[in-house]
Amino acid sequence: MPHVMISSKKCTGCHMCELACSAYHEGAYRPSVARLFSEVNPTTGEIKGHTCLQTACAKCQEVCPHDAIVTKEITVRVKGDYPSKEKNGEVVKGYVLVVDEEKCTNCGECYDVCPTGVIHEHPDRHVAFKCDLCDGEPQCIAFCQNPHVLAVDLKIDKMDRELQA
Amino acid sequence: MDFYKGNVLRIDLSAGTTAVEPLNMDWAEQYIGGKGLLLRYMWQEVPAKVDPWAPENPIILMTGPFAGTGVTTASRLVVGCKSPTTGIYTDSYVGGSFAPELKFAGYDAVVITGKAAEPTVVVIKDDVVEFRPADKYVGMQTSAVEEAMRKDVDPGAKTLSIGPAGEAKIPWACISTDQYHKAGRGGHGALMGDKNLKAVVVRGTGSVSVGDAKAFLDLIYKLHEEYILTEDNLWAHEEGTPVLVDPVNGAGALPTRNWSAGEFEGAEKINSEAFQKIRTKKRACYQCAIGCRNFHATTFAGETVRGEGPEYETIALCGANCGIDDIDALMKFNELCDELGLDTISTGSVVGLAMDLTEQGINDFGLRFGEVESYVKVPELIAKREGIGAELALGTRALAAKYGHPELAMEVKGLELPGYDPRGSFGMSVGYATSDRGGCHMRTYPTGDEVVAGTSPANEIDAAKIEQIVVGDSSKGFIGQNMSSIKFSAILCDFWAVTPEQLVILFKELWGHDFTEDEVLKIGERVWNLGRLFNLREGVEKDDLPKKLYAESGAFAEGPSAGQAVGEDKFNAMMAEYYTQRGWDASGVPSEAKLTELGIDVRL
Repeated sequence: MPHVMISSKKCTGCHMCELACSAYHEGAYRPSVARLFSEVNPTTGEIKGHTCLQTACAKCQEVCPHDAIVTKEITVRVKGDYPSKEKNGEVVKGYVLVVDEEKCTNCGECYDVCPTGVIHEHPDRHVAFKCDLCDGEPQCIAFCQNPHVLAVDLKIDKMDRELQA
Repeated sequence: MDFYKGNVLRIDLSAGTTAVEPLNMDWAEQYIGGKGLLLRYMWQEVPAKVDPWAPENPIILMTGPFAGTGVTTASRLVVGCKSPTTGIYTDSYVGGSFAPELKFAGYDAVVITGKAAEPTVVVIKDDVVEFRPADKYVGMQTSAVEEAMRKDVDPGAKTLSIGPAGEAKIPWACISTDQYHKAGRGGHGALMGDKNLKAVVVRGTGSVSVGDAKAFLDLIYKLHEEYILTEDNLWAHEEGTPVLVDPVNGAGALPTRNWSAGEFEGAEKINSEAFQKIRTKKRACYQCAIGCRNFHATTFAGETVRGEGPEYETIALCGANCGIDDIDALMKFNELCDELGLDTISTGSVVGLAMDLTEQGINDFGLRFGEVESYVKVPELIAKREGIGAELALGTRALAAKYGHPELAMEVKGLELPGYDPRGSFGMSVGYATSDRGGCHMRTYPTGDEVVAGTSPANEIDAAKIEQIVVGDSSKGFIGQNMSSIKFSAILCDFWAVTPEQLVILFKELWGHDFTEDEVLKIGERVWNLGRLFNLREGVEKDDLPKKLYAESGAFAEGPSAGQAVGEDKFNAMMAEYYTQRGWDASGVPSEAKLTELGIDVRL
């Protein structure tokens, strides 16, 4: 499905994606509750991106005892006029996994299985929160904008391609 | 509250107590943040004429209002104190990720006073502040301290720390964060060492609000596209500061062999092209879309050497100024300074001086220009005050004086000069002489205009140029003192050549009302004048710089800047012009009329 990826090689570790993510979802800059993050070792310069792979992974959905992780159809359009961004300007249809907060009991099963560590308990709402591709305009991609960096981008897997067709 | 957190954290190391008090919002409105707010707090917090080494002399950490928002380059922190090196105001700016983290923890500023009885680490986790014994970290190099804090405190911990040089109170010891980012100049690290404070660690999980965060995102997206990520600006990402080596060398302004030449024959071995060959990665500070930092890797004496940097100033002072064109040795020297916590400008200056004293037969330090083997051993000797290091740790001014050759000390007010020789860039003469923290290129940067852009003659200085030095000229990208003062209050990085027009946009978001460009520049002027008052209050020596850098007798015999000199009479005339334009009297004291005009609420 369409999902966000951070290129370890290209990422400069500026954390703009986390700021943009939290500004969109939390109404304030709060990277500790960003839905993706870039793990940086300042000494070695090594960077590891942590993002949700959506239905390409779906471990949270599989493990949820309350069916609180639901599949939702989405249309994604990447903002930003940078031709080198893979999906710039293109409209991509696909699916994302979102949390049904009515059903979520904050049991934590999904927190333990997430391979990239991007589903957690929300510190204020006390339910799980995760990446939902910002209703189709991923802010992390829009704000990773140095044309020579563009480390955060949209990836599309096989199922999406079938959906496009 | 939007942008500001509204909180100042006070840490008293002597009493082992902490307190939170409200940020003075009247001062914030007058001085914005960063440099301006730091100065206003310093006026209040530094007891007049205090011994810089006294426990009462505070170390103040100040953020800017845009730290923790998405405004590019605004993640910088300013560290201030009455300098134990110069005895006057000093501020030092550092990127990385500490300032945003401090805001996320809930604080705009931290005021650290007193002196801990034992080595201490202060840990700030949101609203919980604790003192931890630092015994097991004593002697650790800076990268090891940071690694330990990520392990012992929190994986996301951000650390300000000193290395062995700070512990040994070397006068130019710096404070490190994210390993390669240094609050470098003026000896903050030495004062931290004197306070027995090995590190300040912060982890914040809160937020910074800006009103309508989504609308603000759109605004900064537009600012970035229009002003920052432009073709003109991309040199910072593509090359970073090493790009300066060739033009400055070409202008005969590259300090070479303790400022005895302005052109270095080995420059092409340590220029931008040479560093690009060993570049491995690009890095950025927090919330910076530019990403100017360069990771390099090489081998020296069979061992891997890596580092983010060196930056231009290091290449100039630790390279050309020491006659070093061996890029691997320079990388090693830079790595050692980073790990030990030594400012590279001052280190390169004092090592260059020791080489000069040796070569001239004045005293044999066993150091010679261009000689690698002895050169790479010096940083460790200095940090431990061992062997020749004990004498070099005196610093450039005191070392030259000790051997009866003060004319060989390339410093202003006790702070070693950076990498631009005024003989090849005339505007730097008045720039250095009037800098509020001593020898510094960050207050006004005529070289940018005179040498890099070539839009102003490098071998002329007149009243019009003085005006650019005082105010700045954004239409030409000329960085002036008033402009840099407001920029460093905002705190934006030098790599955003921000204009008053762009600051108007940001300040309207900040305060919710319109600003004119003149008002923005006026804040800068207010900040600069307050800095002057602080220095006058503490006692500052006459504004000057080493004579050979402007007197006719100091002109080079050869090289691109051969025969060039500002001239003594011209220099004095230009200094008088500077004071006149500033509204200061002949000894550099701001007039009552000027202080009233600027709305400055303190007096000498």
